[in-house]
Amino acid sequence: MTKHILIVLMALVLFSCKNETKNEDNSQESKEISQEINVYTHRHYEADQELFKRFEEQTGIKVNVINASADELIQKMTLEGDKSPADVLITVDAGRLHRAKTSGLLQPISSMILDSIIPSHLMDTDKNWFALTKRARVIAYAKDRIKPEDLSTYQDLTDVKWNNKILIRSSSNIYNQSLLASIIANEGEEKAKQWAESLVANMARSPKGNDRDQVKAVAAGEGDLAIVNTYYIGMLTNSENPEERKVAESIGIFFPNQETTGTHVNVSGAGVAKYAPNKDNAVKFIEFLVSEEAQEVFALSNFEYPVNSNVKVSETLKKWGSFTEDKLNLSLLGENNKKAVILFDEAGWK
Amino acid sequence: MKQAGSSDIFSIKNKLFRLKRDSNRWSIITLCVVFLIALPVLTIAFKLFNGPGESWTHIVKNLLGDYVSNSFYLLVVCSFLVFVFGVTTAWLVARYEFPFRKQLEWLLILPLAIPSYIVAYAYAGVFDYGGSLEVIQRFFGMEFTRVDVMNRFGLAFVLSISLFPYVYVSTRAFFLNQANNLLEASRMLGVGEIRTFFKLILPLARPAIVAGLILVLMEVLNDYGAAQYFGVNTFTTGIFRSWFSLEEPETAIYLSALLLLLVFSIILFEKWQRRKMQYSSGKTNNQSIYRKITNKRKQFLIFCIVITPVLFGFFIPVAQLIYWAVLTYSSVFHYEFLLLSVQTFSIAFITAAVTVILATLLIFSSRWNRIGFIKNLSKLGVLGYAIPGAVVAIGIMIPTLAIDRWLMDLIEKISGQSFGFIIHGTLFALVYAYAVRFLAVAYNPIESTTLKVSNAIPDASKTLGVGNFKTFFKIEYPLIKTGMLSAFILVFVDVLKELPLTLILKPFQVNTLAVKAFEYASDERVMEAAIPSLFIIFTAAIPVVFLNKLLVSK
Amino acid sequence: MLKIESLSKSYDKGKSFALRDVSFQLGEGDVFAIVGESGSGKTTLIRLIAGLETPDTGTIEINEKLVSSIKKNVAAEKRNIGFVFQEYALFPHLKLEENILYGISKLKNKKQRAKEVLELVGLSEMKDRYPHQLSGGQQQRVALARALAPNPSLLILDEPFSNLDAMLRAQLRNEIFRIIKQSGVTAIFVTHDTQDALAVADEILILQNGKLVQKDAAANLYTKPSSVYVASLFGNTIQLSKELQSAFECPLKTDCCHAIRNENIAINDECDYVTNATVLKKTFLGSGTQLLIKLDNGEHLTVVTKHTHIDERITIGFNSKDVLEFKE
Repeated sequence: MTKHILIVLMALVLFSCKNETKNEDNSQESKEISQEINVYTHRHYEADQELFKRFEEQTGIKVNVINASADELIQKMTLEGDKSPADVLITVDAGRLHRAKTSGLLQPISSMILDSIIPSHLMDTDKNWFALTKRARVIAYAKDRIKPEDLSTYQDLTDVKWNNKILIRSSSNIYNQSLLASIIANEGEEKAKQWAESLVANMARSPKGNDRDQVKAVAAGEGDLAIVNTYYIGMLTNSENPEERKVAESIGIFFPNQETTGTHVNVSGAGVAKYAPNKDNAVKFIEFLVSEEAQEVFALSNFEYPVNSNVKVSETLKKWGSFTEDKLNLSLLGENNKKAVILFDEAGWK
Repeated sequence: MKQAGSSDIFSIKNKLFRLKRDSNRWSIITLCVVFLIALPVLTIAFKLFNGPGESWTHIVKNLLGDYVSNSFYLLVVCSFLVFVFGVTTAWLVARYEFPFRKQLEWLLILPLAIPSYIVAYAYAGVFDYGGSLEVIQRFFGMEFTRVDVMNRFGLAFVLSISLFPYVYVSTRAFFLNQANNLLEASRMLGVGEIRTFFKLILPLARPAIVAGLILVLMEVLNDYGAAQYFGVNTFTTGIFRSWFSLEEPETAIYLSALLLLLVFSIILFEKWQRRKMQYSSGKTNNQSIYRKITNKRKQFLIFCIVITPVLFGFFIPVAQLIYWAVLTYSSVFHYEFLLLSVQTFSIAFITAAVTVILATLLIFSSRWNRIGFIKNLSKLGVLGYAIPGAVVAIGIMIPTLAIDRWLMDLIEKISGQSFGFIIHGTLFALVYAYAVRFLAVAYNPIESTTLKVSNAIPDASKTLGVGNFKTFFKIEYPLIKTGMLSAFILVFVDVLKELPLTLILKPFQVNTLAVKAFEYASDERVMEAAIPSLFIIFTAAIPVVFLNKLLVSK
Repeated sequence: MLKIESLSKSYDKGKSFALRDVSFQLGEGDVFAIVGESGSGKTTLIRLIAGLETPDTGTIEINEKLVSSIKKNVAAEKRNIGFVFQEYALFPHLKLEENILYGISKLKNKKQRAKEVLELVGLSEMKDRYPHQLSGGQQQRVALARALAPNPSLLILDEPFSNLDAMLRAQLRNEIFRIIKQSGVTAIFVTHDTQDALAVADEILILQNGKLVQKDAAANLYTKPSSVYVASLFGNTIQLSKELQSAFECPLKTDCCHAIRNENIAINDECDYVTNATVLKKTFLGSGTQLLIKLDNGEHLTVVTKHTHIDERITIGFNSKDVLEFKE
């Protein structure tokens, strides 16, 4: 009987100790302000951790990380307000960076290095955030059934000839939202709505699963085309699972809208928090992430396109060939995001 | 004259006198605990006054119908499936002797150890194109029969198969303790086994079944990961959509208020139904149930029935995870996982301890307090479980940040130095949030064992000159510690699996296995998520097996 | 030693009263019984005395010390009252001796005291057993020993014999009250069985619907009950209606209510008032015979008699001294 009480007491002691040490840590850390940086990131790849470690080694600045989805991180920063410990916010899409900016969570950064490396459409118009890597939203087609010559644009996918052939995931996915936002920006709301409605009519099945699942369904013949991110096809191509590699081999990649606006791209990007306690470190950190050294790591390990043009893409991406990207300023994706969601709902896109 | 007297008794003045006399420190402690637990919920409720966001009409017009119909569908189908899985297995295991019964007893609890979104991924992996089923069928030269699990029914099935142990555990405890004398009485009246079960045992087991079922339904309504992946729009996916995609937290809060209303109506409906037929649960019968030994064929049949949910709820998903783990072992496995396991284990342990202590404190302080309405108020403590974890997190952050801001300003004024957050972003806030969320999980088993102890026992202790507090440690604690331990283990397992709260509130440098698994899964690297998931299952399996030992040895 | 004044307790915010305006006083050293049907408020009364519940209004004084009032409540654990619960409420995880030591842990010679009370109830050899290893009667005695161990100023027993079978009951009843008398403590016990009360109580309190209807010595309650209800608690009575009065030709006061006890009805015997009757039905009860009688004026009556040989035609009567008179 007393044993159990002891256990409970021990847990309590442990609990209180843990808290105290934690608090002490915090206070000590805050005294040596220049030695650390707090990163709120949606990216949780080994490559990133590897890069953070390198940054620590090179600069002696300790990198503290909180991993969560961008939405949650933005909510957290909003509530924390001017006391937020966050220095850098990293997301995997431009829409959320824009949202962070409009919520007043980021600050403009003037950095020669960033300005020279990153193309202007891949950064915020007010320099609140900067792209780190790119992903293209492409069409994956069944090689045995579809000729790439028959494919042209995102808009063409609404044609009746694709009825019951198209696979695409739920509209709650940010990349779909961004795609529709880009169409709103390029062609206006009315056209965008028509596009969404007609695409829903052409769907081979009700949206479910993730991008990988769409590709697998194409391979299995449930549909002929899937709208997916290059990033995930890259992962599929290099999967540990032989079945998945087989799937990847059976599909071809088509970059749409080459003759018109260019293929829709989205980015993973970073911004400096408005109330960043370690602003200088934060800038240094983002500059490091777009440096050739860091961009190579991104490109080679994650099947993303680097923003630094001096860095080559990975072997997998190279095979798909080069493409023209939509030069639309990515801030517009964020501005039109909410409109896109509402259009999706109205079009009955689950 | 008497009438005059009675109206005098209830004059405001006399009521106040009595209130003063009857209030004791336990009334205050109860109020404190309830306030602490209800604070996040109240914070969110308060936000309702701000009105919903501008997209509210859009949601009502285009989406709400879907949310309501899907959520109801899930409630109905899951209730049915969970009832079938949970009650049948509980009954067969408690009533019959058959091969591997002892092993199956604890295997039936293990599905709880796997987060349901992981089960969802595993099932998708099994039935996928190029999935395990296809590979196996091809190996045997069979035609691939595709089963589509990614739909409403598939979701209901996956949730039921991973959550039915809640019903199994509570119902079996009832069968083991109570069913024997009922069976005997019924046999004396010449009523057959099956009729006895349906006419007598089942109605009497109802409170036990419902206690488990309500936990299951709250989890079902709360599920985000599996529903999202299977493309089923529910209230919870709607909450996330309006919060994150539509950028309207106010709308999300409105939706969660609706969800809360739904949960409440379920609970009230059940209470109202039960009020119509008052059962006294009777005293605990120490006599353990007499197990029937049937012939070999029947034994085999029973074995097959009982192993089915274990197969679907545990072996199949785990086998799929192991297969993935083998494929990704070299790239994912890191000795860091062991460290992570230890960290996760400690957090879960601390949280479980704190939650059990809070739940016990709430139950007993509300008993020791003599003011009626405070007693009723203590029921509010279980609200947190009905609200999605991410919303609870907001409810926690708003007040803790307010306190922190105040403290920080104060410290800055006094010492001239600025400090970081004191509550927010520390383990304290995280454990607090867990406790708010999981108090209901701890509350139920503790309360039900407490109700089994006759009121006369603590009363006897008091008349022997021993106060409430000492009575608890000397008399009640030894009698209810099994309930407290099972509460501890249930919370422990839930914390291991918990995701949204952890993501938002965890301190820098603290990480859990569930977060790790989520990091992979959210990046569509489901296979890579297998290893951390297996670590979760392994860490959770130890106490689950222990829980069973405890329930049986009683 | 116990003084209670206008004590009331209600449930459901005054919708139903368990106890209404009860006042009485008890002296030192005697055994008191509280008798009433279930729902009469007797359990509420003793729980209020023990401090397990708080009254809506009224006061309780023990040994001239106020323990309960609308403004004050001395906690149960500070009242020094021994309580034997209906279901005994032994601590199931403690051995006999530990159960008894529980209430006297602060005593210096607690082991000695435990030994004393165990000897008093005759269970010394069983001190290392657990409660579930004992019979009902033994558990009852342990509960008593445990309550007596701290030398309470007042001992309360709630339905002490209701869980025992009839054979054991009479034997244990005498045994228990021998022990109580021996220890010299003032005792109150609650029962719905008047036989128990009559057998051992010095004084009996009758509760009806939360009100105290009579408090008197056993013999007085029997001979001078204050109401029909009290009279009927102590044996079958026959109400003397106007029709019966005229049948027996007995002139009684009209502003009162009258009854006669069944055992005071005489058959084929000399009495103050007599009438002739026909026996319609005889039922053999063992100790006597139950008769369904039709008086000559047409009234029906049921009586029990010790006579074994009864003819069809009988005379039936009673004496005027046995007539019970109640003011309505």
